Amino acid sequence: MPWIQLSYERRVAWQLRLILLPSVLLLLAFVIYPAVYSIYLSLTNEALTGAAALKPRFVGTRNYARLFSDAKFWNSLLVTLIFVIGSAVIGQFVLGLVSAVLLRRPLRWKPIFNSIILLPNAVPEVVAGFMWISMLAGGERATLSRIVAFFGIPAADWLQTFPLTMIIIVNTWRGIATAMILLTAGLSAISEEIYEAARMDGATPRQMFTRITLPLIAPTIFLYMLVSTVSTIAIFGFVYALTRGGPGGATELISIYIYNQSFTAFQLGYGSAVAVVALAFSLLIGVVYVRALKVEV
Amino acid sequence: MAPHHAHNPSKRRGADLSAYATLSVISIFCAIPFFWVLLASIDGNASLFLQWPRELTIDNYVRIFMQEDGTRWVLNSLFVVGTATLIVMVLAGLGGYALSRTRAWWKRPFLYTILLIRVLPTTALIVPLYKVLLTANNWLGGVLRAIFGNGPAREILKYVGFIDGYLGLILVLATMQLPLALWIMKTFFDTVPRDYEEAALMDGATMLQRIRRVLIPLALPGLGAAGLFAFISAWGDFLLPLILLSSPDLQTLPLGLFRAFLRVNTIDYGFLAALAFVYLLPAVIAFGFARRFLVQTFSGGVKG
Repeated sequence: MPWIQLSYERRVAWQLRLILLPSVLLLLAFVIYPAVYSIYLSLTNEALTGAAALKPRFVGTRNYARLFSDAKFWNSLLVTLIFVIGSAVIGQFVLGLVSAVLLRRPLRWKPIFNSIILLPNAVPEVVAGFMWISMLAGGERATLSRIVAFFGIPAADWLQTFPLTMIIIVNTWRGIATAMILLTAGLSAISEEIYEAARMDGATPRQMFTRITLPLIAPTIFLYMLVSTVSTIAIFGFVYALTRGGPGGATELISIYIYNQSFTAFQLGYGSAVAVVALAFSLLIGVVYVRALKVEV
Repeated sequence: MAPHHAHNPSKRRGADLSAYATLSVISIFCAIPFFWVLLASIDGNASLFLQWPRELTIDNYVRIFMQEDGTRWVLNSLFVVGTATLIVMVLAGLGGYALSRTRAWWKRPFLYTILLIRVLPTTALIVPLYKVLLTANNWLGGVLRAIFGNGPAREILKYVGFIDGYLGLILVLATMQLPLALWIMKTFFDTVPRDYEEAALMDGATMLQRIRRVLIPLALPGLGAAGLFAFISAWGDFLLPLILLSSPDLQTLPLGLFRAFLRVNTIDYGFLAALAFVYLLPAVIAFGFARRFLVQTFSGGVKG
């Protein structure tokens, strides 16, 4: 009965499309359409208040021209770059790798260490900001001041004096777990026999680490870097709660700059131009990520 | 990678000791902020600084629920995030199944698109999203006012409005969690053999019956993972409620905590710490359950 077979398969195909439809509609309405719409908005002088709010005009590439000569925009790009490199590429990665490597040993307290390192990952953004306001407060009684006093370093008003370094530290704290989990998965794929063989040949632990471990987890490291870079570009909440971009724009990440331009200065058109730049960056990294992933479907 | 069993036992003990020392330092770094929130929340004279409470009290917690709007914030958060999570589970369950079973040409482009959507920062989407929601909200408000009149329309908009209403926040929160959830469910259904469904088919079960009797029971672990991750991420989100909500009636926990902190001249650290702890607890509990899925979920996206 080839005819019945065909119509049955077509019916199933339609049913599958139907049950996927609600997800597609939501993604279209709240992600794809806004993303495309942001390009249009960035070419207008759309605003939340004033004359432009009632009658937005098409202004061509004027927003982008303004962007180009806007020192605060370049500052936010630089701050974001330093933030991504400091926290995702260096902080989280190094501490995550150290934790992953050390936790491969059969230590007795392994589950406890594991849980504690995972804990910051669960903290809501505002709570993270709030917790660290206490840690990084100024004066000799604040926790960080007391810790560094141990090493003879004088107390400071940490968030005022070293704002960018401090938010890098906080983001490192939040993300050690992600790096550790990914790298642990990468490490567990390396077979013990390779190390056994290297040991027979008299390799030192350091040699084994640089010549075997690192090269073999290089693909995992690469993917981790892509994932953590895009998720770090998206960070807003805890930094906003901690510093609101200040002092003097020192922690004004591109996400905070978008927010301030759009919802504090009410310039939606200009804010969109900045957002389009952020979207383009993320998409670029995303394309590399998808190609590297070699999705099997 | 360090050797698991070095030949020299004393050397190994030394390496273990330095491993303990390093891990302890990292763990202290991770744990210290939690001590402050916990201790300050039960301290009658809490301050901005980490200190041992001289008098223990549950006063701060009582105040959240008795004097301030804490109960409303908690209920709002639970309602908004709970509904969003439920929507994600249903849609990702259905959609993930379709993505796993279909052989259509759009399967691969669709999966690539989902991965690309995951990298788009919400912070960059928020401006156009706000415009879209504002337009939809004005239109809906117009319709509701025409039908019900001004007063009732305002009440209804609180629930179904897109700006400053539950519905808008719930739908947007759910949408932001959908890509990961769809991905989790798709890979999950890939591991469920088709035999089960085919057996049900032979018995003449319809699509709905197949979903209810065969697929849902099989899919529960996957749905659990997808739901937990959606809950944790939506629960912790700050940007969306910050932009989409303004009436005090609709405030959720992140806004309650943030705004309580902005009352600069009357900062009460004990109260804030207790509120932070109340907000933190559900996330940590959910994370505890999600832990066993962490490796699968993260490495699922990373297997080359």
